[in-house]
Amino acid sequence: MPDCIPRAGDEASREACRTITQVLRSDLKFEGLFQFVPENLFSALPTLNPDSPNFEDWRSVGTNILVVMRAQVTGGELAVEARVFSVDGRQVMLSKRYSGRADNPRSFAHQASDDIVALTQYKGVARTKIAFTSDRDATKERRAKELYIVDYDGFNPRRITVNNSLNILPAWSPDGRALAYVSYRQGGPAVFVAHIYEGRSESLTKQGEQAFAPSFSPDGKRIAYASNKTGNMEVWVANADGTGAHNVTSNPSTDTAPAWSPTGQEIAFTSDRAGTPQIYVMDSEGLNIRRLTTVGNWNDAPTWNPSKEYSEIAYTARLEAGGFDIAVIDLATRQIRQVTAGRGSCEYPSWAPNGRHLVFSCQRSRGGTWQITVADREGRTIDTLAAGSGNNVQPDWGP
Amino acid sequence: MKRPTVPLLLVALVLLAGCGGKKRPPAVLTDPAHKPSYPAASPEPEQPVNTGPDIRSVGRDNPSGEDFSINDASGENGPLEDIHFEYDKDALSDEARAILEKHALWLQNHRQARVTVEGHCDERGTVDYNLALGDKRARATRDYLVSLGVAGDRMHTVSFGKERPLDPTATEQAFARNRRAHFVVSR
Repeated sequence: MPDCIPRAGDEASREACRTITQVLRSDLKFEGLFQFVPENLFSALPTLNPDSPNFEDWRSVGTNILVVMRAQVTGGELAVEARVFSVDGRQVMLSKRYSGRADNPRSFAHQASDDIVALTQYKGVARTKIAFTSDRDATKERRAKELYIVDYDGFNPRRITVNNSLNILPAWSPDGRALAYVSYRQGGPAVFVAHIYEGRSESLTKQGEQAFAPSFSPDGKRIAYASNKTGNMEVWVANADGTGAHNVTSNPSTDTAPAWSPTGQEIAFTSDRAGTPQIYVMDSEGLNIRRLTTVGNWNDAPTWNPSKEYSEIAYTARLEAGGFDIAVIDLATRQIRQVTAGRGSCEYPSWAPNGRHLVFSCQRSRGGTWQITVADREGRTIDTLAAGSGNNVQPDWGP
Repeated sequence: MKRPTVPLLLVALVLLAGCGGKKRPPAVLTDPAHKPSYPAASPEPEQPVNTGPDIRSVGRDNPSGEDFSINDASGENGPLEDIHFEYDKDALSDEARAILEKHALWLQNHRQARVTVEGHCDERGTVDYNLALGDKRARATRDYLVSLGVAGDRMHTVSFGKERPLDPTATEQAFARNRRAHFVVSR
């Protein structure tokens, strides 16, 4: 992928091109589907003819695919062209033109990245967002926790809740237009739904019951959560507007942390019915409960891989004394894959919408800050996300 | 067309095919040499790019800036002192029961008082589990007060899990202080 070529020599166009080059390379590298020829080879390139690359020459160095970007800023508008060439096929695979406001060229690169990844069988994540809880705006007098949203790469932080209370456990709706979360703004913990493009929030559960851990069903029509309304902590399911709430577990132990299967027909949850917290699976009306995890004495926070390609559940596991790690259990073989190791304590995993990456929160040393952390599903690459100051916890990766 | 005299060094994306686990199919780009189904070279119509969706804040339902009603764990105690719990336990110790018996007496002498019983945990352990544990601590505390004759409708419980520790430091002493039921009295 050569540098983006400005269509005009003005500084705004060149700056937009620099951003697009950097962000698009970063996006495509993150997906882990492509291998880049080292950039030091660029210096020897003769000037590329962006309309008609010399395929023979590209092929002679083993190139399969060539991405050519061009951009121009005119009067506050940014116009970008993306062309993807198959070198072997000697033809254009993708040709796109994008236009919009020039103030955020990163979003053009994200759009181009997703269009390029769409040439594979995968859906890219470059335009996805991550919601999380942070104490960054807390003061000594008001130890508030609020919800924030960042782009998947940590850029563009936006604050969602503004009430100086505790606002925790955000969970995206499948259409990306709402967040379910838990707020203490009326005293006790209740599930709310924030409509983030409309700037309004409404409560799903009432004061008097302790309600936590909301999770939207894959079709967005139902929300599962944990509540003590029966006098004991159980998994509940309600319609997304709060009607039809009913408990689906009924057991003297603690049942919490529900997570839907990709089909919406099953729910994974945490229960201590066998003496220690373990992951269980049931159908969405509470029947056919079976235990999933048997290794370790503390497993919690299950989250089902949303991709049909991977039948697995990520969760928080105490595999060694002391800290927690992120683990993934294969639902067919029950084999456990440890995603984090030696990274202090990590908890609260959430899958990228395509199931190829995980986000969670880690505290690398006791007493240190909690940071949003991203890994591929094998745990080969793990990086802290620069998501801003404070303790950043409970991430949920949205559409 | 002019041919360069040195081999061109060209840079592009190369598929990283088949990396990873055995079960995972490799990323597959349809080979255009065999399936020339891509759009022709003429660009598609311009596609508008959403350069930053208009996400808005919610929950400005507290415009006065007044803090919410929960005692902010400042360390200030009301008339009823905290009781403490063992690690990962919601059982009441003998010491806790003795304190709750004093609280029951006080509540019988202050019949207008209403109490919020807050259940708190130390920072060890997972978020969800601690929210449930804080709930169990608060309910065990309330239930014992009920057994001592305090009307249940004078009390309500709130679990804070590990979300609002009294002492945020990571020491055994802080953990012990944070595993508590805290009482907020209102009239």
